[in-house]
Amino acid sequence: MKEKLDAMLVAANEAMAAAVDEAALQDIRVSYLGKKGQLTSIMKGMGGLSAEERPIVGAVANRVKDQVFETFEARLKKLKAELMTSRLEHEKIDVTLPGRRNDSGTKHPVTLVTEELIDIFSALGFCVAEGPEVEQDFYNFEALNIPKDHPARDMQDTFYINDEVVLRTHTSPVQIRSMLKQPPPLRIIAPGTVYRRDSDITHSPMFHQIEGFMVDENITFGDLKGVLTTFIHECFGKKVGVRFRPSFFPFTEPSAEVDIQCVICGGKGCRVCGNSGWLEILGSGMIDPEVFKSVEYDSDCYSGFAFGMGLERIAMLKYGVNDLRLFFENDVRFLRQF
Amino acid sequence: MIVTYNWLKEFVDFDLSAEELSHQLTMAGLEVDFMEKLGADLDSVIVAQLDSVEAHPEADRLTLCQVNTGSDVIPVVCGATNHKAGDLIALAQVGSLLPGDFKIKKSKIRGEVSRGMLCSEKELGLAEEAEGIMILDAGLELGTPVFDALGLKDVRYEIGLTPNRADCLSVAGVAREVAAIVGKTMQMPSADALNENGTAIGADTSVTIDDADGCPRYMARLIKGVKIGPSPEWLVQRLESIGMRSINNVVDVTNYVMMELGHPLHAFDFNQLRGQRIEVKCAVEGTEFVTLDDQTRYLKSSDVVICDGEGPVALAGIMGGGNSEVQDTTTDILLESAYFNPILVRRTSKRLGIHSESSHRFERGADVDIVPVALDRAMSLIQQLAGGDVAAGVIDAYPQQLGKRQVQITAARTNALLGLDLSLERIEKLLNSIELPTEKSEFDGQQGLLVTIPMSRHDLEREVDLIEEVARLNGYDNIPVTMPVSRVVRRLKDDRQSFTRALRDAIVAQGFSEIVNYSFISPLAWDKIALPADDSRRTTVKVLNPLTEEQSIMRTSLLPAMLETVSRNLAYRSQDLSLFELRPIFTVVDGECQPVETLRLCAAMTGRKEREGWAQNDAKVDFYDLKGAVESICEQLNLPVLRAEVDGEQPYLHPGKSCRLYHGKVIVGTLGELHPQVQDNYDIDQPVYVVDLDVAALLSTQNGVKTFQPISRFPDGYRDSAFLFDEEVSAQQLFDVVSKVKVKNLDDVILFDMYSGKGVPEGKKSLAVRVRYRSIEKTLTDDEINTMHAKIVKSLTKNLGAELR
Repeated sequence: MKEKLDAMLVAANEAMAAAVDEAALQDIRVSYLGKKGQLTSIMKGMGGLSAEERPIVGAVANRVKDQVFETFEARLKKLKAELMTSRLEHEKIDVTLPGRRNDSGTKHPVTLVTEELIDIFSALGFCVAEGPEVEQDFYNFEALNIPKDHPARDMQDTFYINDEVVLRTHTSPVQIRSMLKQPPPLRIIAPGTVYRRDSDITHSPMFHQIEGFMVDENITFGDLKGVLTTFIHECFGKKVGVRFRPSFFPFTEPSAEVDIQCVICGGKGCRVCGNSGWLEILGSGMIDPEVFKSVEYDSDCYSGFAFGMGLERIAMLKYGVNDLRLFFENDVRFLRQF
Repeated sequence: MIVTYNWLKEFVDFDLSAEELSHQLTMAGLEVDFMEKLGADLDSVIVAQLDSVEAHPEADRLTLCQVNTGSDVIPVVCGATNHKAGDLIALAQVGSLLPGDFKIKKSKIRGEVSRGMLCSEKELGLAEEAEGIMILDAGLELGTPVFDALGLKDVRYEIGLTPNRADCLSVAGVAREVAAIVGKTMQMPSADALNENGTAIGADTSVTIDDADGCPRYMARLIKGVKIGPSPEWLVQRLESIGMRSINNVVDVTNYVMMELGHPLHAFDFNQLRGQRIEVKCAVEGTEFVTLDDQTRYLKSSDVVICDGEGPVALAGIMGGGNSEVQDTTTDILLESAYFNPILVRRTSKRLGIHSESSHRFERGADVDIVPVALDRAMSLIQQLAGGDVAAGVIDAYPQQLGKRQVQITAARTNALLGLDLSLERIEKLLNSIELPTEKSEFDGQQGLLVTIPMSRHDLEREVDLIEEVARLNGYDNIPVTMPVSRVVRRLKDDRQSFTRALRDAIVAQGFSEIVNYSFISPLAWDKIALPADDSRRTTVKVLNPLTEEQSIMRTSLLPAMLETVSRNLAYRSQDLSLFELRPIFTVVDGECQPVETLRLCAAMTGRKEREGWAQNDAKVDFYDLKGAVESICEQLNLPVLRAEVDGEQPYLHPGKSCRLYHGKVIVGTLGELHPQVQDNYDIDQPVYVVDLDVAALLSTQNGVKTFQPISRFPDGYRDSAFLFDEEVSAQQLFDVVSKVKVKNLDDVILFDMYSGKGVPEGKKSLAVRVRYRSIEKTLTDDEINTMHAKIVKSLTKNLGAELR
């Protein structure tokens, strides 16, 4: 009987080792350990044994039963592991295939620059103001010390709606409207659309400007330099050189053009900067007393500075755009780059 | 304004390199736009001598020259005929690059070696035409660059003058700035050579001024017996160096003096002046007058004209007349030097569309005090170059002497505005450096200067103008960089600005790219989008002087430009588009001079839903993609869902696939598929969906801050029901009915299926809804859910005739 049991153990072990999947393994387990299994029936036959033999064979039978079960468990674990490995192997994907994207859209580069400038000047305490694009001659010219019959009017080719109404040629009328609305102190920036009757490779009949100005007691030309230098360093980097040079605008006195070191060549001179190493980026100056007069500010008490710049120009320099017309052609191959 | 280095040197002795001068002028406010070194690239063209000139053995028309460069003798084959042995010539050595990118190489011409080229003036860019090669004056040193030897090396500066600096519209004016930069005094040219060898001027002619407002001062000199002819080389080249063409000796002198001193002059053929006299007056309205450029001009009584005894002979300060022009046969000349009213010159020149060197200067303000200087300088040069007898004396009609302005300046105010700490002495020195006479004085107890403004400086009227001169001359670089000390400005929150920015962010997040189109469009756009004749959008603000008809009206809708943009992109084969524009439209308001500008949001979608790819859906966008985008944007901005209503058809939209969007009774915009006809009008061959929203209306729907809704900790339960409805019943009606049923624990209603066709009777459709129930207090029982759901089914049946399927 003991021999029979040992032979069964060997046979069971071999059968389980050969089982290819869990179902086959379970069948083997049942065929030995189940209610009608071989081991069970052997154990049922133990009643015919002598009282001396019974505990010995019983011990052997129990050991065989435990061993069969142990083998079964080990084999089951291994089969499960193999199954997992093979499943994972089977589920392999090509991770280099492109992902499924849900792209967001893009803001126009002029919008991006406008928002950046608003953020820079907001941090310096400037508020945003706006004004109409179809503007009265008074706000666009007269109040800014550009009377009719003055050669300064030639500086800006104007679209007229009628004798007294124009498409604003700059964002400066917002200065007048803001100052008429409230007394100093003022710190305002005014981004907006402007129009000039000029269209070629470097001029667009419609473009964008940002105007900024500050009025209070004791504002100096040095403060103008300070605020604009801060802005330029924020916008183009701390290392970029800045220079102020005399210029003329009817609504500022003294007036200054502000140049930055060429961002393309770093000041060595290239095609973009016309070999000068400098790029003109904004006009500025101390607000002219005539302007204060037209808004009834007392220029003995208050002083201030104003500045204005073209947003397309800033965008061109920042992003290296080489053709102004791209901003208005709205080709998505251009727009999606921003 | 163009000046040259050498010309400036005649006025002031300075020691700056070409580049330094350019930089210094720019930093003084005379911006150098362009600098050009004349002859700088031609150093390899040298003075050489012809040792021998022999006929070429193989060609009749060529000569074979032995050319002595001073250090070598080289063979050169030359095709000219005007040279002989012993002549000094300009030799372009091998390797020279002549104007027009013409490179000189060693060559063999008909078997003879040639190691250079003998140059003509044309080949060196010194003249437009040339006959034969350039023969140089004897005595020049062999081997020196020709441009050096001839003194032709120069640097040309193109200065972009600002309109206030009329005083710098001359070499002398620029030289005054240079003198200030280098701290020297400038030297004015002299007219000492003038020889009044003729009879007294008063015997031959006279000048009367009728219009002293238009012409405050008129001076004249007379010269008889001149010989009109070509100008000498130095004058021709001087004029050419600043881009002017030589005409004849007399005209050249007037141009030369205008450039030198900045004062325009005019020479009349004295014998063509009827009555031999000059009268300055207002034109007779409607007079015809032929100007020098052969154009007939119609004059107005506001035009100031120079007349002879019978009629106009020149438009004052703008252009002369054909009737008194200096010709080759002219012998006697009346030379005018006058000062005209800037505003009147400007009005006339603008109206007639004449922009001359003369009008450019007069309208910016000439210098009344330089009138006699320029007259004598020019007359002296004419006499030198054209001979003749200058009449004794000068006519100077100056009825009312113009007064000089005096302007005060104090150190205190100067320093306060500039943020500097200059002494009064320093300020005085700076002002004196540009020839502004000063006098120490005291104003309101403050030490200051009384400055007498020269008549050339029309721009210096107020103290602040002088402060600018101080800042400029002291150097903007020397003003310290400071940050303002200023009161904090109270900042009022502007809902519209922040809303606009949030709206832009939200639509970008939905995948739309922003476009920017011109605000002006073509009046034909309205037909293209099929607006009826009486549509209010056809009433527009018109531009009086548009660049083209396509840009002549201010848009009252963003749609036409959007469709042009879509069409253009499709033509470039960008076929999947989501675009938006967020900009104002311009609506005419009766009785107002300005239109109302209202912000609109226009968006368009066309093409695929998803970008092309291996795992992406090929489906195309439709109405519900755009509607969904709008709904998502509203949700992101905390706006209520907009109601779609089928009313108020837009002619450019598909009548069955479009709607208005409402908030309550407020129309917020329209949305739909583009009408196939309009789509055709824009050459678009795929469906386009567009939405047009009024941003202010959208903002008005904003319902305050977001508020928290408690979330339930208990499980939900749902019931699905499918109903048959009449086809006309809209989804909106279904939602409206459900929302009115009083059911406490209704959580959500989803319309998850819509079907008509097989299995559904004709004229009906099936809508399936999933209604979700959930309580905040407990787990709902099946019975409770069934009771609530039955209420909803009952209400749909009662109100919309729904049949449960």
